[in-house]
Amino acid sequence: MKKKLQHLEQHEHEAQAELPQHTREEQTAREFATTEEAIRADAAETEVPPAIAVRLQKSLDANPPVVPEKSWWQKIFG
Amino acid sequence: MATPALQLIVETEPTMPLRRAVAPLDDPQLAAIYEEHSQPIYYLTLRFLGDPTQAEDATHDVFLKAFRKLADFKGQSSLRTWLYRIAINHCQNLTQSWQARHIFSNADEAVWETTAGQAESPLRILETKELGQRIQQALAALPDEHRLLLLLVADQQLSYEEVAALTGQTTDAVRGKLHRARKSFAVLFNKSA
Repeated sequence: MKKKLQHLEQHEHEAQAELPQHTREEQTAREFATTEEAIRADAAETEVPPAIAVRLQKSLDANPPVVPEKSWWQKIFG
Repeated sequence: MATPALQLIVETEPTMPLRRAVAPLDDPQLAAIYEEHSQPIYYLTLRFLGDPTQAEDATHDVFLKAFRKLADFKGQSSLRTWLYRIAINHCQNLTQSWQARHIFSNADEAVWETTAGQAESPLRILETKELGQRIQQALAALPDEHRLLLLLVADQQLSYEEVAALTGQTTDAVRGKLHRARKSFAVLFNKSA
């Protein structure tokens, strides 16, 4: 009985040792034609920390900017 | 000779769609400007300075300065170009300040010229997150001017003329320096594997 149990444990140990090979994720090649393309991909994966906008609003509240009454960008975004 | 393709091996695990920066700014006009331009400005500061905390501070300072000076903006250049100009000045002031305090040397271009053959090898990484690390390492070893040029031309909203104006040189000079910058980048990217 004890021998059978040892054999079972040994089998489980071997199965676990093989596990990483079975569960290893497949990999695929990702190719960039130019340096700029690689940088663009990196930029696209880079998120702006939300804390910046929160901090910016606090700074604007503390000392509000003088916004022009009528300017070209107001026409565009207004 | 054509610049070799950069081949990167990445995990096939689906990537989460990038969340756009939602600007909790009260003024809708300032919020619109921030939402449209914060990503490229943050990326420039991040990869130019090489430090996320410094990049956060710099992005905050750039937009605060821009919003305060918005009344002075005459629209002679695009808003993106104007913001880049503020960001570049800010970053250069910071790096000059650091260089004054520390012994700091950029990679000697001659080294990369003599090892240009390494640029022929395909470039491989094992994880998606490695892309940012490898790009950062390669950019950090470039001279400031080359690093800045590569970051600016990667923004498809900027023309070569605008990049030339932002960096204070002719478009021919930009093209020549970019050629060397790309070669150096490829060599450095391979070395960081």
